[in-house]
Amino acid sequence: MPPVLSKPTEQPMETTVNTTAEGRPDFISIRDFSFFYGKKQALFDISLDIPERQVTAFIGPSGCGKSTLLRNLNRMNDLIDGIRHSGDIVVNGRSIYDPHIEVISLRKRVGMVFQKSNPFPKSIYENVVYPLRVSGQNKKSVLDETVERSLQGAALWDEVKDRLHESGLSLSGGQMQRLCIARAIANRPEILLMDEPCSALDPIATVKVEELIRELKQEFTIVIVTHNMQQATRCSDRTAFFYLGKLVEFDETPKIFSNPAQKQTEDYITGRFG
Amino acid sequence: MPNTKKTLPGHATEQNRFETSKLTLLVDRFMTVFIKFGGALVITSVLGIFVFIVLQIWPLFAPPSVTPLKSIPLPDTKYALLGVDEWGAKPFLVEPDGSLLVVDYETGETQDQSLNLGITGQVTAAFLNKREQKIILGTSNGQFVFVSPNHTSRESGGRQIIDVNPTAETPSSIGDPGMPITDIAYGDSGSSKLIVALQSDGETNRVTASLFKRKRSLMGKNKEEAAGTHDLTPMIPGRPEKILVPVTGDSVVVISESGKVSYLVLADGKFELRQSFTPFGDLANSHINVANFIFGDVSIAFASDSGENRIFSLFYPEGGKERLFGITHEFPNLGASPVLLVSTLRNKAFLLGGGKELSLRYSTTESIRWQSRVPYPVSNAVISGKYQRLAVLDSSNTLHFFQIDDPHPDSGWKALFGKVWYEGAPGPKWDWQSTGGSDDFEPKYSLVPLIFGTLKGTLYAMLFAVPIALLAALYTSQFLDPRFRSTVKPTMEIMASLPSVVLGFLAAIYIAPLIERQVPSLLLVVVGVPIVAAFSGFFWSHLPIQIRKFIRPGWEWIVFLPLLFISAGILWYLGPAFESVAFVVTDPATGQKTADFRAWWPAVTGASYDQRNSLVVGFMMGFAVIPIIFTITEDALSNVPKPLITASMACGASRWQTALRVVMPTASAGIFSALMIGLGRAVGETMIVVMATGNTPIMEWNIFSGMRTLSANIAVELPEAPHHATLYRTLFLGALVLFLLTFAINTVAEVLRQHLREKFKTT
Repeated sequence: MPPVLSKPTEQPMETTVNTTAEGRPDFISIRDFSFFYGKKQALFDISLDIPERQVTAFIGPSGCGKSTLLRNLNRMNDLIDGIRHSGDIVVNGRSIYDPHIEVISLRKRVGMVFQKSNPFPKSIYENVVYPLRVSGQNKKSVLDETVERSLQGAALWDEVKDRLHESGLSLSGGQMQRLCIARAIANRPEILLMDEPCSALDPIATVKVEELIRELKQEFTIVIVTHNMQQATRCSDRTAFFYLGKLVEFDETPKIFSNPAQKQTEDYITGRFG
Repeated sequence: MPNTKKTLPGHATEQNRFETSKLTLLVDRFMTVFIKFGGALVITSVLGIFVFIVLQIWPLFAPPSVTPLKSIPLPDTKYALLGVDEWGAKPFLVEPDGSLLVVDYETGETQDQSLNLGITGQVTAAFLNKREQKIILGTSNGQFVFVSPNHTSRESGGRQIIDVNPTAETPSSIGDPGMPITDIAYGDSGSSKLIVALQSDGETNRVTASLFKRKRSLMGKNKEEAAGTHDLTPMIPGRPEKILVPVTGDSVVVISESGKVSYLVLADGKFELRQSFTPFGDLANSHINVANFIFGDVSIAFASDSGENRIFSLFYPEGGKERLFGITHEFPNLGASPVLLVSTLRNKAFLLGGGKELSLRYSTTESIRWQSRVPYPVSNAVISGKYQRLAVLDSSNTLHFFQIDDPHPDSGWKALFGKVWYEGAPGPKWDWQSTGGSDDFEPKYSLVPLIFGTLKGTLYAMLFAVPIALLAALYTSQFLDPRFRSTVKPTMEIMASLPSVVLGFLAAIYIAPLIERQVPSLLLVVVGVPIVAAFSGFFWSHLPIQIRKFIRPGWEWIVFLPLLFISAGILWYLGPAFESVAFVVTDPATGQKTADFRAWWPAVTGASYDQRNSLVVGFMMGFAVIPIIFTITEDALSNVPKPLITASMACGASRWQTALRVVMPTASAGIFSALMIGLGRAVGETMIVVMATGNTPIMEWNIFSGMRTLSANIAVELPEAPHHATLYRTLFLGALVLFLLTFAINTVAEVLRQHLREKFKTT
């Protein structure tokens, strides 16, 4: 078995330095994207632009395809057998399906936080530096610096700084999720994908993670999938509403929640179905 | 029916639907008791087996018991010899006039059996040839005569009766006529007879050897004729005091008054002094009080005046061409001045006595089997042929009988686990050899070569199996497309169910001869294929993604498998060419160069090359172990929670990094169990080892030599082991050691596994 050696991104992406505070409006551009699990079509002709350094929320009832779309942004769906897609997803001007791009280097640019916290059975320290280690970074000073920065970024530093070498599994549920966030941002990705990051957390932990999301958008482009409408209003700038694999409406969050253009959207956010 | 109330099955009415039915409760109670009973039964039977094995083994380590039986007073005279029959029922003593005093143990009566020997003078020396059960008597006027006690056994009324019907041959003279014989001995090889007499007139001591050749006539009657008399006195340094002749009659050992021992060998009808040594040369008083051959007549036990006791054996010293005596064992001081040293007719035990001390010692294992203080000064003793009864004559001529209950004198910690200096060997070593060609062969029961063989077989099997099984499991669970996985795994599991006797048979009949011819090919394949695999993997990962994308992840084997097969085939056929270049050996006799690995290996390493060797065993036992390790490891790796793998992937780790950094550590407890179960299988594996090794109990790590494992030893030796004999019990001990070995492995494994599981638990 040939080991697929991880290497630094072979072709560095053209870094479009965007000096405006708003950032690039089409940092992630999804174009006519359809997706199939075997014969079952999960997404239908999705087109939407996700702006840079903002929080974009995907909402919709269960099975509407919002998580599928999110997982396509870093090609995590590649691990599933029998998938296929049409259309394209362009991140920062370049298609993620470009055959010249290693899926590994894509994932290094796109961090991900999962619904259920999944720290490795390693120490807190090793959990955070894992993305660096797999990139071949083993310099202690860099790792130490990353651990502090990432854990501070995930608002966990003060709670764990004295026990960095204890198991990551010794933390509470909320702390574990923040540890996963710290791990996801450790390698300074451009995009942070969050798949219902708070659904397994208690309200206090949820508040902390939401505060964190609002802070993290200063640095990262965040896409969050949530079932919780309040959460979407609290922490997102833009909201996309999906229904049965189709994008129903995508607009500024206040507009979606106060004055949706579509009847379906209104029905969903007012709790008539979902 | 007017009342259409529905009732559930098992419920009579709607009212009692919340009650549990009596049957359910009854079955529940019964099953609880039944399972408890069954569990207890299982534990009891396992413990029972364990207790049984321990009971079988215990006698090997048990101290012997020597219990006094009865004492029979004898007429007061100076007896020249004390002998006994095989059963210890009718000991006899030689009286000064040459008649036999037969003692009946049962009745306590004594019977004087006068023989018309036709000798003049008193009997002054006597010797009993143990093999022939024949006595030679020497008289005060230089005569000698052979006497046979002729013990016969018969049944009468369900009891064994021993009869003694002594007969005597005609006396002859030896050496200086009329000179008193102070010591006499003879040996008989069948074709010749050697009689040696020590004569002393108070001033000079002379040693004379008479040789007789025996000719077989057609009538079947043996005719003895004198073949020369030799005066050995000039060859002996010092004044001779005692002589010893082995039963084979091919040499004479003469002990001088100063404690010097001369070893004279009879070769081509002539005597030569081969060796002269002083056993107690380091002591102030080097005089030898008593000395005697140990059963087998290869070792002599000496005891000094002060009670020191040493054994000297004949062996070829390092680089020597002749067998010489050398010290092999040394015993603690008796604590009294020894007066008697008698050996047995069954084993290497001997009784040393002096003053009021009696000590039963076993020469090979240097163990004192029994030592006791008796209330009388001892003067002579004899041990019955079956090593069951001991008769001790005290200084006031009372014969004391003892029962010896020592079924395994050759056993014990030292014999089973320690280095033992066996007769004929140039040094102490661990040895297993349970049977030999002759009656006086001494079985060697060291378990160390067997434990070594077990470890060696296991090591080579694991060396072969572990890398293959682990990597195969890793590939199958982490890299291979899942649809192939569901085919590969059951196939491997079928392999696990192959009977090991089939594998052993295959190894012995097919693989061993194949490997023997093709060792260089095998070496090339073993070294070459992994290198090819590593290189092609490296090359593949450096290919541009445009080429790589044609093969989906999990399908790479389509490219690599043919590549590996082709390279293995090429390397296999390159073997002979490789051999002709790398393994050339020059025959020292003819100077001819031959390219043969089988000759090259012994020439270069000095180690032997056997056809059925550890390589074959490792290879074949690997086949038995691989499926087990593979299946369990694969399960462990596949059971690593998917979220961890996706988390690692999402962090930008490659499949290999994920496998190595997340999957393997998380599954480490399971992998460890797999290795340990594989190890346990390899340790206990029997049939493959029995058939594919030479079952040679040697102790060397050489991969091209065989081994004998504990399990194979039990299989091989059990049909040869007499019930309750030392070998039989030793085999049980081997089984216990095997059990303890696997128990230790399993315990350590379980402790480590728990530790790993705690360390890498995922929830």
